[in-house]
Amino acid sequence: MSARWRLALLQAAAPVLSIAFGGLVASGIIVAIGKNPLDVYGLMLRFSLTRTDSLAAILLKATPLIFAGLAVALAFRAGVWNIGVEGQYYVGAFAAAFVGFSVRGVPAVVHLPLAVAVGGAAGALWAFVPIALKLRRGAHEVITTIMMNYIAAAVVLYLLADVFRDPTQIGTPRVRTPLFADSARLPPLGPALAWLGFDVPAHSALNWFLPVGVVLCAVAAYLLVRTRFGYEVRAVAFNPDAAEAAGISLDRVRFTMFLASGAIAGLVGLSDILGFFGYFDIDFPKGLGFLGISVALLARNHPLGVVPAALLFGLLDRGAQGVQVFAGVPREVITILQAVIILAIVVGYELVTRYVRVQRKLEAERALAPGEPAPLPGSG
Amino acid sequence: MDAIVELSGITKRFPGVLANDRISLAVAPGEIHALVGENGAGKSTLMKILYGLYQPDDGTVAVRGERVVLDSPRRAIALGIGMVHQHFMLVPRFSVAENVILGAEPARGGRLLAGEARARIAALADQYGLAVDPAAPVDGLSVGEQQRVEILKVLYRGAEVLILDEPTAVLTPQEVDDLFANLRRLRAEGKTVVFISHILEEVLAIADRITVLRGGRVVGTLVAREATKAQIAEMMVGRPVLMDLAIPPARPGEVALEVAGAVVAGRRGRPAVRGVSFTVRGGEIYGIAGVEGNGQSELVEALVGLRPLAAGRLAIRGRDVTRAGVRAIRLLGVAHIPEDRHRRGLVLPMDVWENLILGHHGRKEFGRGPVLDRVAVWRYAADRVQRFDVRTPSLATPVLALSGGNQQKVVVARELGFAPTVLIAAQPTRGLDIGATEFVWTQLAEARAAGLAVVLVSAMLDEVLTLADRVGVIHAGRIVAEFPRGGASPREIGLAMTGARLGERSA
Amino acid sequence: MADLVGSLLNLALLASAVRLAVPILLTALGAVYTERGGVFNIGLEGTMIMGTFFGAAATHAVAQALPASQGPLASMLAPLAGMAAAMLAGVLFSLIHALVSVTFRVDQLLSGVALNLLAVGLARFLNILLFGVATQSPGVNGFPPLAIPVLRDIPALAPVATGISPVIPVALALVVAGQWVLLRTTFGLRLRSVGENPHAADTLGIDVARLRYAGVLISGALAGLAGGYLSIEQGRGYLEGMTQGRGFIALAAMIFGNWWPLGALGASALFGYFDALSLRVVAVGVPYQFITVLPHIATILVLAGVVRRATPPAADGIPFTKEEG
Repeated sequence: MSARWRLALLQAAAPVLSIAFGGLVASGIIVAIGKNPLDVYGLMLRFSLTRTDSLAAILLKATPLIFAGLAVALAFRAGVWNIGVEGQYYVGAFAAAFVGFSVRGVPAVVHLPLAVAVGGAAGALWAFVPIALKLRRGAHEVITTIMMNYIAAAVVLYLLADVFRDPTQIGTPRVRTPLFADSARLPPLGPALAWLGFDVPAHSALNWFLPVGVVLCAVAAYLLVRTRFGYEVRAVAFNPDAAEAAGISLDRVRFTMFLASGAIAGLVGLSDILGFFGYFDIDFPKGLGFLGISVALLARNHPLGVVPAALLFGLLDRGAQGVQVFAGVPREVITILQAVIILAIVVGYELVTRYVRVQRKLEAERALAPGEPAPLPGSG
Repeated sequence: MDAIVELSGITKRFPGVLANDRISLAVAPGEIHALVGENGAGKSTLMKILYGLYQPDDGTVAVRGERVVLDSPRRAIALGIGMVHQHFMLVPRFSVAENVILGAEPARGGRLLAGEARARIAALADQYGLAVDPAAPVDGLSVGEQQRVEILKVLYRGAEVLILDEPTAVLTPQEVDDLFANLRRLRAEGKTVVFISHILEEVLAIADRITVLRGGRVVGTLVAREATKAQIAEMMVGRPVLMDLAIPPARPGEVALEVAGAVVAGRRGRPAVRGVSFTVRGGEIYGIAGVEGNGQSELVEALVGLRPLAAGRLAIRGRDVTRAGVRAIRLLGVAHIPEDRHRRGLVLPMDVWENLILGHHGRKEFGRGPVLDRVAVWRYAADRVQRFDVRTPSLATPVLALSGGNQQKVVVARELGFAPTVLIAAQPTRGLDIGATEFVWTQLAEARAAGLAVVLVSAMLDEVLTLADRVGVIHAGRIVAEFPRGGASPREIGLAMTGARLGERSA
Repeated sequence: MADLVGSLLNLALLASAVRLAVPILLTALGAVYTERGGVFNIGLEGTMIMGTFFGAAATHAVAQALPASQGPLASMLAPLAGMAAAMLAGVLFSLIHALVSVTFRVDQLLSGVALNLLAVGLARFLNILLFGVATQSPGVNGFPPLAIPVLRDIPALAPVATGISPVIPVALALVVAGQWVLLRTTFGLRLRSVGENPHAADTLGIDVARLRYAGVLISGALAGLAGGYLSIEQGRGYLEGMTQGRGFIALAAMIFGNWWPLGALGASALFGYFDALSLRVVAVGVPYQFITVLPHIATILVLAGVVRRATPPAADGIPFTKEEG
């Protein structure tokens, strides 16, 4: 049993080592710009972890990343490569915004869920195109989803600037939709946290989408681990040929997971627009879809891993603000750090997987009763 | 006699396996030296060491009396050692000429000299009687022609020693005769041949000397003229052979499987199965014999719903399933032991318990509603593992960690679960050692006794002749002959496998 | 209607199509090399970004260092250095991809995705370091343009016969050379063999990893050059996001061209045309936002329309594991 623990420990160590390696590479860069990495990291951690406003900011930043990471992880787990979370969340956020500003006079219990549902549906719709083209026409989803990202940006920009621009803002440089009805706003999480004894600053936009995201991850993990469908997803991801021979419909599994991925992606932007801005404007945060890929990879595509991975990225983001302001280190250093962590983690997981595989083989060989002739690799 | 190649004390370990255990072997120049042994005896590993693909953990290799380190195929080739692999190492999309010259191209300043290549290949083909068209793309060649390309590749590199790994496994009897003629011609031209096989008739027919391996060790070396089949067989297995499975007379029941005029597309849409018809009743084994690549794989995939029928009809227990998919066919009680268990049969990274319910995972026995009942699944898996004697450290061990025999036991245990009525077994003992082969054969016999309709597709004639109540011989996508048990000699069946029509006798 | 046809086929548009096709073409050509060797490289977009930045930065640096008196030769020197730097950056950047996906055998898709993330951060960071802002370099001058003798004197042909970047003929030559290299040289034959059946190549003593490195590094050099062309010749300076997904479009062009350089040429011309259209056709009653994504829509249509008959190298995207315990 101790061997099993050792392997589990090793698997847990891989992300830690990757983060350390990323930190090392970033140290090199920090030294190159004439700063002391230890000072910078110390400042970063102090700034991020010892201030209530920082903690709230980390949680706020992590909220969309949880959705983005989960969206990517769901697709990757099924062996379909949804690089289109970026576009799906634009479209989803705009659709939710549309519900937010165009529907009036309904109570929040109807309005808010409607906005969220429409956001998810729009994300799924945007994911439908590439997955349908993959399953029906064989178009590689990596390239089509990336193209859909560009198209999403164009469509949303068109709708925002030419169709739904707030008429009261015309003549000003502000390009945004009308304000949402209050019934479509996400309630802040502050009061609930205060009740738990954690006082977030009054202006914090931290909202109920954070716990919703965490719960979604837990639900996804449960579905994937415990249900028949989750079992099918694993089989399809690891060996589609065998899954097919067992009567599992590859298309159904891939289609379902891809649409689920798109639907979750449609929710990525809602914490920001429904919980904070109250309108959709041209400076709407971009790039969350790509960060979602990083989060998912760090989490090894496991829904439960998505939450800590998103928190780490939230921390890095907050830390980047800190070092930029107080140490004069450009925040892009942290972007580089993130990318290096991702490169290191994919290598790390690969090596660990290979090592574990060999160990399990040895273990099985030892368990063989004596006298059983052992096979040879590639023997003839 | 000075050996041209001498291996001394070769030891090679893989994780958990001692593949070669202090093997010594001397090959004389100009001889055909056969290396025989069961699957897993260590033949291929030893030859891969001689060809520089594996490095031995211990031991030395000498070529023409000089000690050498074979750290790459390139080095082996330079020393005049060439290898024809069991699974051809050809690039299907390349032409014959491109395949032959690859890695040893005639070139000037990096520019290929295509004319010179063609001329040299033509000259070699002529010298050794290996007829192939240098300009033909390899993916259009027959298996026998592809093998000639492989031999040409080796000769082109100036090999003096040719290693042939199980060269006859994929050939028709006629092609085997052609190959042997080629090998004798090579010997006459002064080449040395190391010939790996486990088919004793062939070995005795072609070899000058025979070295027998078992369990990674040399059992002995014999002069072929003085050796007998029984003697070699006992050396190979280490106990008296074999296995005359007592099969009681068939008591066929209802028709369980009916195929009529089946046409199935193969690669690139060309028909691979061209009008196959047969019926199988409960309690009988219908064997399909034939050289690989004559449409068996496509036929099997069509029978289990993985490939659509382009024409014809398929019925299971009287129900028409011509257009049905895998799921519907499985639900009618069709079990499938696929020919490639790693590709179609198992999800290697998943655990033993998970693999044991693959395809059964939707059953109500494993829980109500969408959630799998872990306890029920686990109990079922434990029972299967015990009943089929799967040797695994735990149910939570990934199947990739198991030996080939135990992996196949997982497949068989799963497919025979939940009382199937039809079993499609494709190459069920491929790559298995004797013990596991025996196990699979027993399971097939028991399935028959239990009233299953069994289709057994195998490239091993022995296997089909031992188990099948009726044998259909497949050639070029057609059943060209059908014999009842004992209705034909292996030689007659072998002849049918070449496509010689015996219509007047089988009709 | 005649107006529309005129605006779809006029010479200025074609000239612009050729110019815009070049970065897609060069990257697609690189993609042919890497995928013929059996390695996906979705990181080519990021490699292009590196090329745009380093191309502009080096051009700027050399131009600054040169004395003000500029002869015709001196004016060549800065962009030449820029192109060289862009290619070198592409090679070094793709070296990471080769290391991760060939040596460590990580899923090639993941490695490429991570590289694209890295490129964005790196370009911003370096730009801040050198030029104080994240998104833009100072303007640079490209090569003195070429003109085709005789044709340039015919006024109607002037748009296509003049103002030609010397990179354009170089790119065309590289395509022809690429076709020749893949079909007629030892290197080409071996590269294709490791993309089709690396185990076969391995048994013949061919160093699979080395050839795959070569394929990936060549793709990096060409994508870097494409980036350099974008920033030096077309953009006259680096601007964040100026690649606009052309690295991905180039992959589609490679697929459309059935993994051959000459095929990639045809496909890139098509994409270049849509790109040009998106810049020029403003007055057709379609919102400009949709015109700008014409190349992207075309990419999707092409992939959905043609992929079924395309045949990738048999071992494309599959990490090669040498048979050794």
